[in-house]
Amino acid sequence: MFEEASEVFDNMFKTSFPLTFIVFIPAVLILVSPLPADAAHEFTVYRMQQYDLQGQPYGTRNAILNTEARSVEAEVLSRRCVIMRLVDFSYEKYQKALRQSAGAVVIILPKNMSTMPQDIVQQFMELEPEMLATETIVPVYFALEDEELLSIYTQTLTSSPTQGSSTAAEGVHVLDRAHSRSKKYLSVGETGGRLAGVGGEDLPTIVLVAHYDAFGVAPWLSYGADSNGSGVSMLLELARLFSRLYTYKRTHAGYNLLFFVSGGGKFNYQGTKRWLEDNLDHTDSSLLQDNVAFVLCLDTLGNGDGLHLHVSKPPKEGTPQHALLRELESVVASQYPELKFSMVHKKINLADDTLAWEHERFGIRRLPAFTLSHLPSHRLAERSSIMDVRSVSPSSPEQEHQGGGRGAGQSHLQPDGEGEQEQLSSVVDWLTAQPRAAQLLDKDSSVVSTLEHQLGRYLKDVKRHYVKADKRDPEFVFYDQLKQQMNAYRVKPAIFDLLLAFCIAAYLGVMYLAIQNFGLLYSVIRKVTQPKAKTH
Amino acid sequence: MTLFHFGNCFALAYFPYFITYKCSGLSEYNAFWRCVQAGATYLFVQLCKMLFLATFFPTWEGGAGVYDFVGEFMKATVDLADLLGLHLVMSRNAGKGEYKIMVAAMGWATAELVMSRCLPLWVGARGIEFDWKYIQMSFDSNISLVHYIAMASVVWMFTRYDLPKSFRLPVTVLLGLCVYKAFLME
Repeated sequence: MFEEASEVFDNMFKTSFPLTFIVFIPAVLILVSPLPADAAHEFTVYRMQQYDLQGQPYGTRNAILNTEARSVEAEVLSRRCVIMRLVDFSYEKYQKALRQSAGAVVIILPKNMSTMPQDIVQQFMELEPEMLATETIVPVYFALEDEELLSIYTQTLTSSPTQGSSTAAEGVHVLDRAHSRSKKYLSVGETGGRLAGVGGEDLPTIVLVAHYDAFGVAPWLSYGADSNGSGVSMLLELARLFSRLYTYKRTHAGYNLLFFVSGGGKFNYQGTKRWLEDNLDHTDSSLLQDNVAFVLCLDTLGNGDGLHLHVSKPPKEGTPQHALLRELESVVASQYPELKFSMVHKKINLADDTLAWEHERFGIRRLPAFTLSHLPSHRLAERSSIMDVRSVSPSSPEQEHQGGGRGAGQSHLQPDGEGEQEQLSSVVDWLTAQPRAAQLLDKDSSVVSTLEHQLGRYLKDVKRHYVKADKRDPEFVFYDQLKQQMNAYRVKPAIFDLLLAFCIAAYLGVMYLAIQNFGLLYSVIRKVTQPKAKTH
Repeated sequence: MTLFHFGNCFALAYFPYFITYKCSGLSEYNAFWRCVQAGATYLFVQLCKMLFLATFFPTWEGGAGVYDFVGEFMKATVDLADLLGLHLVMSRNAGKGEYKIMVAAMGWATAELVMSRCLPLWVGARGIEFDWKYIQMSFDSNISLVHYIAMASVVWMFTRYDLPKSFRLPVTVLLGLCVYKAFLME
């Protein structure tokens, strides 16, 4: 047959040359075509943080994977992708995966965090900083659960224990083609505005600051409802209140108010640092250079039943800071007895890697500042967790807000402002609708421009500016490839292929024999049917 | 699941044809080119069928669950063209009865294999994902081979004028079955 085939092809070549091209070029093209990635299931995964802060690397370094999946109970984990659910997550298992240099770790998070029991949430929150602190080359991904992913997970669970022996069982293979690169620049946006006080030129200034970005173990999952969505919403609310109060002569106070929403807060307050440098070092006159009464930073005010004023130096008698402290105490004692108010004193420690609270940035520049927060300590995990989402943060913001707002207001005037609950919750809803990790907020991000617009409704001189990392000696270096599409396929082990080949060869052999001896078969059948025909 | 799997499926699909060709004695008759011609006729017939279907049978707008008996019946009737095509091929080939049948069936089935099964196998079986349907598809092509051989022989028998009357009826029934096979399966 091959001789005839070659004859035919020869004729074809000799007669019409273009025809050969038409026949062969598509064949060649098809042969070299890239392998299509047709997945059983494609899902979005979010990578763990990867950044360098002041030269210190954190988080996971790697992103590519093309491995088989296993559950964490299997013995051999090296070069495999370990899949585990949040309910089964524990630090020892995570360490085990890292020790055996697994190919990757994928942690499946439930779609709705509120279905998780509180102790698991708390445990995970505490583990997040530890996970970040160990720099590892194993890519760690988080994925949100859905049915397909769950079925893949149960399949890996059942197939893992018997991984060696089965030929026909199915495994799951995960694939993700990505390569993490560093984005050495990042511009952090921030915005602010002011309200002028009554009574002349050299009025003292009160500054109110909140940072709007959020932090968590995975940037795309950092919604930061409490930290610091609550702070920003409260800042906007205070801006609204004071702008209203300042329109009436009776309630117009003799203080300038400066409101500032800063970026890069979770990365050692870079935005505030640059803002201070710009205003104090580079410009000639600014509200900050003159008489500053105090700076109040708002940070994490949503949950909880305590209100703490963190200071780096206890305020002396007779200063405006002291007056604020007294006012806050009296307001809380008289109107919100269930809130526990206290002052927490922590000295600034410049030897630490990161600063504790935002007011320390101001303290370094000799501006009196403090931070209002419901957290008693800066080290708590709630400040930097992906578990900090809207559904989890319950309802005492109003009390906190009232306490804080009235305290701040009454320190120099007699307002009767009331907070608007719907406005507060809608601002927090909007803020938590998108992940606000600092890496993701770029020049084009809508968060800063919306904040600017909102502030512009109440304040004057609202400006926006951007902070860029220094090219030669960057304080913070971010890496990209934070959100990927991962593909999972159901595969059969290689043994199966060989087995199949063997079966097919056997089948073909049988067919060959049958056809060769077809005459034999035919005569047998005739013999069987012949008696019937004879008697017919 | 990889090229190896593709090779498996391809072997499963194609080798029976190869074996049939070699062993049925066609190679002695230099029938390769005639098989290719039969294949070309297959392509032509399919094209005509498609044009006919597209022109005269608009898409059925009725509900999802309702099976359009009349429409599908008409569509299946168009498959009669298949039989006509086979008949055409066989009438053009001079030679013994079996030779004609085998040539027509081989060419027809090979063309169908190449056209309707090669591309899915190439695209699908080469991927990482494993699915039983590729093995199924290849096996299906084996069955089609036997089916086409049977169909061709029934058509040939139908056109023989010296056929005993008693055989007419079963032959006609079998022919009808061939055509409406897809329809009856539904």
